[in-house]
Amino acid sequence: MGLFILRRLGVMLLTALCLTFIVFWLTNLAPNLEKLAKTQGNARMSDEAVVSWLENRGYSQALPVKYGQWLGVLPGYVIEGTDGEVRARCQIPGEPVEDAATFCGILQGDWGYSTVFKDEVGTIVATRLGLTGKLMFWVMMVMVPGALIIGVLAGMREGSRTDRSLSTVSIVSTATPEYVSGVVFISVFATATFGMQWFKGTATSAMDDATFENFFLPVMTIALYGMGYIARMTRASMTEVMTAQYIRTARLKGVSFPKIVLKHALRNALIAPFTVIMLQFPWLLNGVVIVETLFNYKGFGWVLVQAAGNNDIELLLGVSIVSVFVVLITQLISDIGYVFLNPRIRIS
Amino acid sequence: MKHSKTEIHPYAKMYAEDAIAGKIDRREFLARTTALGVTATAAYGLIGAAAPAHAAGHAQQGGTIRMQMEVRALKDPRTYDWTQIAFFSHGWLEYLVEYNNDGSFTPMLLSSWDVNADATVYTLNVRPGVKWNDGSDFTAADVARNIEGWCDKNVEGNSMAGRFAVLIDEATGTAVDGAIEVVDDLTVRLNLPASDITLIAGMADYPAAIVPADFDPENMTGNPVGTGPYLPESLEVGVKAVLVRNEGFEWWGYAENRGAFLDRIEYIDYGTDPSAWVAAAAADEVDMFYETVGDFVDVVEGIGWERSEVASAATIVIRPNQLAEVDGMQPYADKRVRQAIAMAVDNSVCLELGYANRGVVARNQHVGPMHPAWADVPGLAHDPEGALALLTEAGMADFEMEIVSIDDDWRKNTTDAVAAQLRDAGFNIKRTIIPGSTFWNDWTKYPFSSTNWNHRPIDTQILGLAYRSGEAWNEAGFANAEFDALLAEANSLADADERREVMAKLQGIMTDEGVTIQPYWRTVYRHAKPGIVGWDMHIAYLPQMYKVAFAA
Amino acid sequence: MEALTWTGSLGGYLNPVLMVLLALLAIAVVAQFVLGFFAAPMTLQSNPDGTLEARGGALGMAETGVKWTFLASLAVVIGYIVVPLVMPYGAAGIIGEMSKRFLPVWIALIALFAVSIYYKRRLGLYGKLFDSTIGMIGFALVMFWVFTALFVGLFDMILTHDYLTQVSGLKNKVPGVPVPEGTEGAIPHYLLGGDNLARDIFSRVVTGSVFVIAIAPLATIFAFMVGITLGLPAGFYGGKLDTVLSFVANLILAFPVILLFYLLVTPEIVLTGIPSYMAAFLFVFPLIFFGVLLNSRYYTQPAKRNAIMIPVLGILAWLYVSVINQPGTVIDFIGRPVQPLYFMPINWLSNLTITLPAWFDLFDITILVVFVSVVFVNAPTVFRIVRGLTLDLRTRDYVAAAQTRGEGAWYIMLWEILPNARGPLIVDFCLRIGYTTILLGTLGFFGLGLSSESPDWGSTINEGRKLLLIYAHPALPPAVALLSLVLGLNLLADGLREESLKD
Repeated sequence: MGLFILRRLGVMLLTALCLTFIVFWLTNLAPNLEKLAKTQGNARMSDEAVVSWLENRGYSQALPVKYGQWLGVLPGYVIEGTDGEVRARCQIPGEPVEDAATFCGILQGDWGYSTVFKDEVGTIVATRLGLTGKLMFWVMMVMVPGALIIGVLAGMREGSRTDRSLSTVSIVSTATPEYVSGVVFISVFATATFGMQWFKGTATSAMDDATFENFFLPVMTIALYGMGYIARMTRASMTEVMTAQYIRTARLKGVSFPKIVLKHALRNALIAPFTVIMLQFPWLLNGVVIVETLFNYKGFGWVLVQAAGNNDIELLLGVSIVSVFVVLITQLISDIGYVFLNPRIRIS
Repeated sequence: MKHSKTEIHPYAKMYAEDAIAGKIDRREFLARTTALGVTATAAYGLIGAAAPAHAAGHAQQGGTIRMQMEVRALKDPRTYDWTQIAFFSHGWLEYLVEYNNDGSFTPMLLSSWDVNADATVYTLNVRPGVKWNDGSDFTAADVARNIEGWCDKNVEGNSMAGRFAVLIDEATGTAVDGAIEVVDDLTVRLNLPASDITLIAGMADYPAAIVPADFDPENMTGNPVGTGPYLPESLEVGVKAVLVRNEGFEWWGYAENRGAFLDRIEYIDYGTDPSAWVAAAAADEVDMFYETVGDFVDVVEGIGWERSEVASAATIVIRPNQLAEVDGMQPYADKRVRQAIAMAVDNSVCLELGYANRGVVARNQHVGPMHPAWADVPGLAHDPEGALALLTEAGMADFEMEIVSIDDDWRKNTTDAVAAQLRDAGFNIKRTIIPGSTFWNDWTKYPFSSTNWNHRPIDTQILGLAYRSGEAWNEAGFANAEFDALLAEANSLADADERREVMAKLQGIMTDEGVTIQPYWRTVYRHAKPGIVGWDMHIAYLPQMYKVAFAA
Repeated sequence: MEALTWTGSLGGYLNPVLMVLLALLAIAVVAQFVLGFFAAPMTLQSNPDGTLEARGGALGMAETGVKWTFLASLAVVIGYIVVPLVMPYGAAGIIGEMSKRFLPVWIALIALFAVSIYYKRRLGLYGKLFDSTIGMIGFALVMFWVFTALFVGLFDMILTHDYLTQVSGLKNKVPGVPVPEGTEGAIPHYLLGGDNLARDIFSRVVTGSVFVIAIAPLATIFAFMVGITLGLPAGFYGGKLDTVLSFVANLILAFPVILLFYLLVTPEIVLTGIPSYMAAFLFVFPLIFFGVLLNSRYYTQPAKRNAIMIPVLGILAWLYVSVINQPGTVIDFIGRPVQPLYFMPINWLSNLTITLPAWFDLFDITILVVFVSVVFVNAPTVFRIVRGLTLDLRTRDYVAAAQTRGEGAWYIMLWEILPNARGPLIVDFCLRIGYTTILLGTLGFFGLGLSSESPDWGSTINEGRKLLLIYAHPALPPAVALLSLVLGLNLLADGLREESLKD
């Protein structure tokens, strides 16, 4: 088991290194750097100004060198610019260049500096991740119980009318991407079109103070898309368990149906949904980006859009690292959890 | 103030006669006379009008305003490219001069200024008693240092260098030796190598914020030294920025009764989507908007907000670039092609679909009735069939024109409206949208694209910036010797009537050459909830939050 | 011209009936649901006299009630669609007119279903689909949009106005608004209203289907070609090849899709030519796939092989060159001289110049970058599925038998393993088209890579959402369209899965 986790961690690190290098390469392509210079310097800058801007800020170094500096295995640049000013990668704004550390990269815990937000990447990612965490917490609170109830109800009597109608509901919900359900929700529940103006169409104020009124629609929008999928997995696992020998024995013994479902079937039926819920996390990121855009909620997804739109290299790298690790860690947890929950499976 | 009627600049009197005779309008008159150093009150006096009263009497001290506005990152003020940045920084970084909606320039950190008869020597009188918020005095040396900074062409993206081009030595890229002279503690003299009457206007523009001696653009909020009444409390780019009153600091404006009524100003970013702003307004999450656009004017009024509007010379041009090469040829070099494009488009439809009819239809001349020397020159008639015939005659009927625009609301919609009309007329059109983050990379080079232009008070200013041969911002690639000569002539004529004759020829050339489609002049709007005063929309979007207050 | 109402004069009769039926249905459903918790799990009971008896009592009544009210409501809904076909223009309101516009689609659907159901026993898995209600509903939804796309794309039927024409005065007007006199168009109304640029929403939505129906299946096919060509050997051989390929696939999968799109689908990246190189790489897989497929089958009969392979590969190569060639990018050699052997060491060879004529370029995919990205994110998942199936199937007896016969590895993979893996692959194919549709919509929603005037559903939803709080009608029709297509694909996949499991 320990070796298994170690090996998985090794692969994770290798994956993260490869991915960040790809992001690094893509964001450091010449046209992207030009865009960066123009958004940061002045939108209507001349070509010569762009070149000197990039040179002065260390963007013209070789790609592996820049990547090494970002990782913290190569010393940060100190460049005397064409305008006479000395700039260092590790300089802290407001303090003299001479005090700058030699190394400053991920390994030193320094995530870099966001060119768009003029702030430490670490701080931005932490704040925004917190806000998205709040959103995700409520999404999970709605999605997981909802999906499990639907799945169990549908799966306990396979082929019944309840099963058919609930299965159809779950298919509909998996077929409704967030940008469709969000739009439908807003037009139905946040405008006067249908006379049901019950919720707010923006979640900006929910960042400070989330209420039922301003947080319900975004939470429902994300939860709905994932709910159907988990419900279908739960249903499949539930129907399988319901046909198992020990359930048949219990029924023949005369145990009441509700008791069979609650006491005997449920525990075993929930193993499969657990892994599915874990693997659902990375998918939710997609939904988060759409919903945060749609409802103007400034969380992690919004940072991703801003960073990508402005080619904010270090922020984009920070965002990629976090999202890649979320994907990999949830995969790891789902694997380990599966092993723990299901005694039949042993790691060879 | 040392001005009296006897000292008034000779041109100012001439302008006053013009204004009284109705040759120039009040805004133009105020813009010119106050730029020459006449105070606004005196200028109003010259034409026998009373200066508008300040709102100060109705204002209540204190309170918090929440304003919807894009919150952008701070940077060196000289490189500002968005007025929104100045809305935040003007809380502590103030301006020498201020441009107002009525066209006048009023002194801020200067107490007054004099311009000699041929506009080659400017004497700037620094306002006495102004202090930096670190306790030191604000002196002529500070003014001189800032002007030197504006003249530094070596700073990447320094747009002030363009406004002060007359003072810059081409060889070194810095100010001409001896041009900026500190006479005494409270006087700076500018000795210009050539005459230029636009310097004061330049000082009033939003990148002209006055910064302290040890200014560090990388750490503006960490060390907010300035002369203004507010201090930055927090700045989260894209989210929120807060200004709070600098308690205990004796701002020069308090004594002058200038205002700074609010205790706290919050700028909240609701993104670029106006419907989100409306949602915020309806939910009482903001008190006023930065700007209200197109369709949303009615909507905001529907929830009971008050309107402030200014008819401006802000506009959009959808222009072919005559020099641009597509597939090895210059498709728009042919005059007939350009004329055909102009004839195929009905400008009023662009106004309706692009800007919800909130403006005035224009005639593709980029000079309008709001300009003093505008001449009533007819535009090309709307004639789609004729347009196609002309295009076919030029042999370009099969050419696919790619029209590029940015991806926002009204600019995109107007460009879409143009594209649709061209397509209706039988042109072969392809439409491309480029996101705002990259659009400006090549904005002057796109073969056919749209650009928004801001309000410029005087008729020849924009023609000089955007249509003179070889200008950096000449996005139409227009080069016409006759046009250049006429423009130079117009620039030398101070009298609006005399200039109008030349303008008629210039506007004629603009129409005849089909230089651009310039479909309408925008009226700009701002809305706020009832009970607030001093929040009027500014014609050039300049920040003047110290005037805003809750009504008493 | 007067504005149209939703249901016109028909609504006077049908609306109240439908309301009552729906109310009854709701009551019955609730009753059934509540009573279901207290009843025994029994549905049918056989009596000694040989008859069957359904459940009686309150629950039985509720179940019967649900059934009949549901069928009656369905009949009324069909009435909304069928009756207007015989009514004069405008009398049956917006819904009636829309039903009339879709007349060719109805006819095609009925014909298709009639033929398919009649011959269903001879049609294999496809025929079995018509045994499953869910599958039929799904198939009907999918074919509805396929036929719509065909009629709109090929014959310009169904749509009422040009989808790009802007008509002054119709900006953001509500559904059923009459157009001004003299406006070109099949009918004098905007059935679903005007959008923010005064274009007909109905026509834009049906035109949008062409885009989706053309791109999504094609992109999915490409993803399958890539996934199959790489997945089969990875699963079959295992070892280092598998480790490397799986690592790369997991690498792409660990990338959040949205981040990948934001990095790849930008004008800057298009400038660098990366999408063109990716296209050149990814789109070569169909060539390899068919080449290997045919070669492994016929290599013992070289004459027959050459007769089949040369035309097939020739056409595919031509398509390949047309697809990857895009004017203005790094791969743009049609109509201009190129030196194909530039890197050859022999001097005269490297100076050889050929010019491909312009007609050689069959079509331009203006959204190549979108296409490439969608294939790129889908291929690794297909790879994983194929690899998993191959791992499972390679231990089967028929594989061992083929090996004993001395068949080549590729023959076994493509002609033994692949046909036996078709069931799960077909199901996944349907689901994946739905997923690709959602992805395309996501790209449109973020305004990535598509023209702003594009009528595709994602872009129109994005356009509409900006004014959603004031005008809901421009955003809803494309949203409903996208939802129904994806739902149809999901139901179809579900039906197929159910039926293929019965094998």
